[in-house]
Amino acid sequence: MAEVRYYDIRCVRGEVTLVDIDNGVVESAGTSFFDKAVIRVLGSQGWGILTRDHVDIDSKRELNALVEAAARLAAVTQDRLDLADAPRGVLPVPPLGEDPRDIDLEEKTRLLAGIEGAARVPGVGNTRARYTEGIDSVRFLDSSGNEYSYEAVRSGFSVLAIASRNGVMQMGSERDHITTGFNLRGKQDLGRKAGEVAVSLLDAKLPKGGTKRAVLDPELAGVFTHEAVGHASEGDLVREGASVLGGRIGERIGCEGLVIVDDPSLHEFGFMPVDAEGVAVQRTEIIRDGILASYLHNRETLAAVGNGIAGHARSEHGAPPIVRMSNTFIENGDAAYDEILAECRDGILLIGSRGGQVDPGRGVFQFNAEYGYLVEGGETTDMVRDVSLSGEILSTLHNIALVGNDRKMSPGYCGKGGQSVPVSDGAPHLLLENATIGGRGG
Amino acid sequence: MKGEDLIERVLREGERRADEVEVFYARGESVSTEIKKGIIGTAEESEAWSMAVRTVKDGRIGFSSTGDPDRWKECLDAAFASGGLATSQQWGGFPRPANLTSTASSSDGDLIVAVEDTAGMVADLLSGAAEHPVEVVGGGANLARSYLMVANTSGVLYGMDRTVAAVSLEAIREQSTGYEFDASPFRADIDARSVGEQAASLAARSLSGRDIKTGRYDVVLSPVAAASILGHVLLPALSGRNVKAGRSFLADKIGEQVFDESLSVYDDPFAPGLGSTTWDAEGVPTRRLVFVEQGVLGRFAYDLKTGYRYGEGSTGSAVRSGGEPPGIGMHNLFVDGPRMKEPGDERAVWIHDVVGAHTANPFSGDFSVEISNPFWMEGGDLVEPIRSAMFSGNVFEMLAGIGGLGKDTRRVGRLTIPSIRLNNQQIIGK
Repeated sequence: MAEVRYYDIRCVRGEVTLVDIDNGVVESAGTSFFDKAVIRVLGSQGWGILTRDHVDIDSKRELNALVEAAARLAAVTQDRLDLADAPRGVLPVPPLGEDPRDIDLEEKTRLLAGIEGAARVPGVGNTRARYTEGIDSVRFLDSSGNEYSYEAVRSGFSVLAIASRNGVMQMGSERDHITTGFNLRGKQDLGRKAGEVAVSLLDAKLPKGGTKRAVLDPELAGVFTHEAVGHASEGDLVREGASVLGGRIGERIGCEGLVIVDDPSLHEFGFMPVDAEGVAVQRTEIIRDGILASYLHNRETLAAVGNGIAGHARSEHGAPPIVRMSNTFIENGDAAYDEILAECRDGILLIGSRGGQVDPGRGVFQFNAEYGYLVEGGETTDMVRDVSLSGEILSTLHNIALVGNDRKMSPGYCGKGGQSVPVSDGAPHLLLENATIGGRGG
Repeated sequence: MKGEDLIERVLREGERRADEVEVFYARGESVSTEIKKGIIGTAEESEAWSMAVRTVKDGRIGFSSTGDPDRWKECLDAAFASGGLATSQQWGGFPRPANLTSTASSSDGDLIVAVEDTAGMVADLLSGAAEHPVEVVGGGANLARSYLMVANTSGVLYGMDRTVAAVSLEAIREQSTGYEFDASPFRADIDARSVGEQAASLAARSLSGRDIKTGRYDVVLSPVAAASILGHVLLPALSGRNVKAGRSFLADKIGEQVFDESLSVYDDPFAPGLGSTTWDAEGVPTRRLVFVEQGVLGRFAYDLKTGYRYGEGSTGSAVRSGGEPPGIGMHNLFVDGPRMKEPGDERAVWIHDVVGAHTANPFSGDFSVEISNPFWMEGGDLVEPIRSAMFSGNVFEMLAGIGGLGKDTRRVGRLTIPSIRLNNQQIIGK
């Protein structure tokens, strides 16, 4: 049999409940089932990885056969990996306020319909809402004798409103996801907000592109943190030479006082009680007082790169663990929001996020706001739409002129290597100098 | 019990409680090798099995899926529970068996799902990349084979093989990156060496780009950049569901000249491609659909559910992804039209790819993205790299008046598309 230095198996069995309501019509409402297993074997060089549906983790015979098959795969690898030792331990899962499994599908559908209906304010022509609930039962064991199991419960929704007038179509959307219980009650306000934003965007202007001062709201500043710093600090990208942050530990890459953190132990949407390699999770300060302090690591990237801790391995069910962010944020500074707006004087205030993307090797990122306002003489004036921001990782953090004191976390999903995992991002309001704003206004 | 016997069992059991039942079944195997540090870092093999069930009773459609054959009863119960909550709608039944005379080629009989073959493809990728002074920072090769089946209580029972061969490579030189990829049902279509060489060439040639001033320029979108921007805006606008829900810019424009008269857009499920098929994900026979002919909007795409609801009829456009219910999609979408000799002799900004295409506004068509590997193009040649910039515009306005189509047609996922020249576009420099 081929050499086996280490193996682990991670099984995730669970249910996904989806409810989709489109313009008042219940398009679908129901539950589906999955049962995925990933077996990894570290051979003499690198990983051999198997993915299977429906593995009996308690069957010694089945496990041995899988390990043997994965070892044969590992034998074709050439890149020698080692695993760093890392602390073990599983945090308690936060207690559920209300267990979504105790609520029947009919009530979920009715509550979601309430949120969807609330989005239908005058001027809105189309509304759509989607409820997503995931129950994951995770079991893990490895060749070092570690074993754990836990259950993760996620519940949340998104709501979209589209307003149209004279051929112009604009959208407003809101979402909210939690890991601490059922999340559909008392949320009509978010539906209404989506509707109101869509209607007011019909009169919004297209901003003029160019370099200007920008104020980012906590949600967008969170996406900025995630795209501008988070990805480039991932140890796998650093190891491969695919990140501009490689080799820069100890370098000043941001303004004084700036602290950027990834913390999987927080009870936000990116929470995990233990990482996907069975390593205990802890807070990592990526940037401390403007200086690059740590990378995010799993065991193999920690061994290869150093500077940081393992415990940042995550995986979508049925996919191998890779280094990922969890709850990523900029710590509060001391500027009040009014002060930030006044200091901006003339520029743009950007609100909400339509997502972003980064090329960590080139060090360039882009993200898009849901809407914004022009800032003139320290006051917000006209509403603007379809505005995005791009920047360069190595210079952009020096351009943070003020850090607010009102940090807020926002839940979302992050994609990397074809895998999507729940995360949260956050920051207080930020003032950015010399921001490159993309917009097609004249 | 994992195959046809299980499908039969679910149909018979389901039939006792519903007017109609449908089972969609997929199983597949896949191997891949991934590049780390310029050599093979990991080798992966996966086997997957899934079954999705739909039940219809009094116009209420229920759905559930499972990856565990032992849970088929639970899955069927969940489908019934789901149907109990769905809004009742006009429904004319699942399709009956059709005499499928067309052929679609989506499977390569010679493709072997073997890790050694992917290792060979990686060696080719790396030898191509070695032609330029770059570091390889990622990429890999993948070979997959799957078997899909749809069956319903009206007697449909269709099965098909699908294969995929795919490669990609990511290279870097200092802070200049290059990424290239290719995927096809046919192993012989994949020239891994050339993909590696192209990615490395992009990284090497994009080094030391010059700044560009904010202003209006002529732009040439490569097939990759064009597919990326159009994929997030044009495709959803052609979905009948979005049209009827008031979410498509193109709604109410049938018969109108919506795009440049040199542009045609059609779905050809019989052309060889990753989505080739003679029946769609609901067992409806597929057909060639011309959405836009010489700029004039002709039709939209429908699945059974949306088709019945609005009296339009299915266009055989149902697709599935993951464990979700079927939805409206494209099989092999072509953006086509008369080609120019070159993508235009006049100086233009050539854009290989964009960062952030998914942040485009799918309803209005407005976008502003960061551009990747931009070059000044003169006389059809890439003459000088540009450092970095944003590109802002509107997809629908852009397509209403294009400068021309290039001869470099390429398959990007389920889209086959040439480069597109666009005049007088907004570029934001830094």
